[in-house]
Amino acid sequence: MPRLILSPRLAASRRFTFLVLLGGILAGLVVSGGFLLTQGMGLSDLASQFVGYTFGNPAGLDQTLTRSIPLILVGLSVAVCLKVKFWNIGVEGQLWAGAMAATAVSLYHIGPEAVRLWVMCIAALLGGGLWCGVCALARIRLRANEVVTTLLMNYVAYMLAQQLLYGAWRNPQDSFPVSKVFAPGETLALLGFGHVHAGIFFSLGAALFCWWLCGFARVGYMAKAVAANPAAARAVGVPAGAVVLLMATLGGALSGLAGFTIVCGEEHRLTQFVGNDFIFPSIVIAYLARSNPLGVVVAAIAIAALYTAGDSLKAFYQLPGATVLTIEAILLLCVCCAEFWLRYQLGWAKSTKVAP
Amino acid sequence: MMELFTAWVSTIPAFAAPFLLATAGLIINERAGVMNLGAEGVMAMAAVTSVLMEMAGHGTALALLCGIGAGLGLAAIFGIMAVFLRVDQVLAGLVAFALGIGVSGFLGDGSENQTVNGISPPPGSDFAFLPKLLAGILDQDWLTWFAFFAAIAVWFIIERTDIGLRLRAVGEDAPAADAAGVNVALYRFGAVLAGGVLCAIAGAHLSLVGAHIWVDGMVAGRGWIAVAMVTLSRWNALRAIAAALLFGAIQALVPQLLSSGMNVPVYFIQMSPYLATLAYLLIAGLFAKGADAQPADLGRPYLREERR
Repeated sequence: MPRLILSPRLAASRRFTFLVLLGGILAGLVVSGGFLLTQGMGLSDLASQFVGYTFGNPAGLDQTLTRSIPLILVGLSVAVCLKVKFWNIGVEGQLWAGAMAATAVSLYHIGPEAVRLWVMCIAALLGGGLWCGVCALARIRLRANEVVTTLLMNYVAYMLAQQLLYGAWRNPQDSFPVSKVFAPGETLALLGFGHVHAGIFFSLGAALFCWWLCGFARVGYMAKAVAANPAAARAVGVPAGAVVLLMATLGGALSGLAGFTIVCGEEHRLTQFVGNDFIFPSIVIAYLARSNPLGVVVAAIAIAALYTAGDSLKAFYQLPGATVLTIEAILLLCVCCAEFWLRYQLGWAKSTKVAP
Repeated sequence: MMELFTAWVSTIPAFAAPFLLATAGLIINERAGVMNLGAEGVMAMAAVTSVLMEMAGHGTALALLCGIGAGLGLAAIFGIMAVFLRVDQVLAGLVAFALGIGVSGFLGDGSENQTVNGISPPPGSDFAFLPKLLAGILDQDWLTWFAFFAAIAVWFIIERTDIGLRLRAVGEDAPAADAAGVNVALYRFGAVLAGGVLCAIAGAHLSLVGAHIWVDGMVAGRGWIAVAMVTLSRWNALRAIAAALLFGAIQALVPQLLSSGMNVPVYFIQMSPYLATLAYLLIAGLFAKGADAQPADLGRPYLREERR
């Protein structure tokens, strides 16, 4: 009797890969659209919200681009870590660490005023890098699961930020839990298009850098080897631990930089909501982009557009704030399930008779 | 001071129970080799569904059952992805988390902040003959009591029964378990469902016992904490009771401190259990202790056709 068996697909052609992923994304969009239709939206509403408002309207485009600046960076953060099979669930903690480091430089007047902004940027990179680097070190040296450590570091950073905002860093003028507003020289310049600020150059520059690092630098090549087979990589002399540590620290630094772009470009001070809701989007972005740094830029802008649409759905259709998260989850679910067909194939087992 | 202490201690079990239920559920998952990061979503689904059913006029018992059903549905989606489709478990867990939080936001939209009867401790003390402090600890509602018995039952089943033995075999060495005739996928999926039931009860505990309302975001990271607590309790449901009491004690302390008006660094106190868990992980790694407690095949999908 023939039996269905599941077996690994050894190689999937590029065309097949592309078609499967496209199918996954389309399925995700169709399911999300259907879900929104059940929530009382019309088809034309959907089109006008998702295409018209997010891209065809200056206000929508402004919001999308501004939102995409930190999203690109956190997406890159997860993507870079995934290059060495390091699950970075801690982008929020690293983002908080970066934002706090940058704010500390501003509050305590560290460094000459002329280059203060750059000192803040470096502090944010170091803060984020440290926050992720210790988790990488714990994994390499102590075999601590990075999913748990990076996750816990989120809470440590968040609680630390709240403690500072309600304590030492509280605004002395009105005693709201926000830090003092940065001096004009400590903020990123606006680019003359709505709220879009110079942080976008940091994001795009970081994406180019990661693309070069992963595709053309020696470290990127070693990372590929480590991800494919750590034991084999070590056997041929690749310093596997150092590569993981380096890539994870870089990933953390990128999230820290995202914190820098938010406090210096958008808020111009540390607020309580700087690092909220970045974990799942960062994973979705990195996964949709298949960890390709340039793909991350495209995916991050798409997800940012989703947030823009989500904001207007909330305002005009009274849909709950969970809309965006639900759509993201449906998208990722469909793409994950589609990817199954890239890795496995179903077939009939040949009936083999064993001689008695 | 003594009154503050009594008030604090008597609220600890109710604060600890959701952590304990979710952690016990995740221990079942992880002992079978499945890491479920979706606990937060499962808890949210159960919390919102049970409140909605109670608001619709069904009894508390039925509301609890419906909450469990909703959580179980989400756990099943996770299980199909992680066990049968062999999607990376971290990714599948995150999808379950986001789906649960998102859909619960939709379901509960418009029904927030409406009080339901829920489950309360019996009026009057059953343990009035005991010293006041002890009576305060023991005077809990039945769902909180259930949490502690459930943890003991989970420990017994995993460590002392044949089913538990097979479950552990699947988590430690799936190929060997398969060769010994254990259906790996079936055991893993069963573990995901059983763990999902406990996580769902944890969520229902939050809304029916703890808050008596539904508010968006009310799970507030407890599902994630449970993931970390599995490590802290070294995959052992009895130690999970101690871990849950630690986190519950800290969480119960904060409102007491705030209402007492004492000037204390509240956020540093709230940070301490996370730091303790991190420190525990590092110390366990230093002495190579925690490393052998973690199921060896945790996070590895298994397919006979790609046997290592």
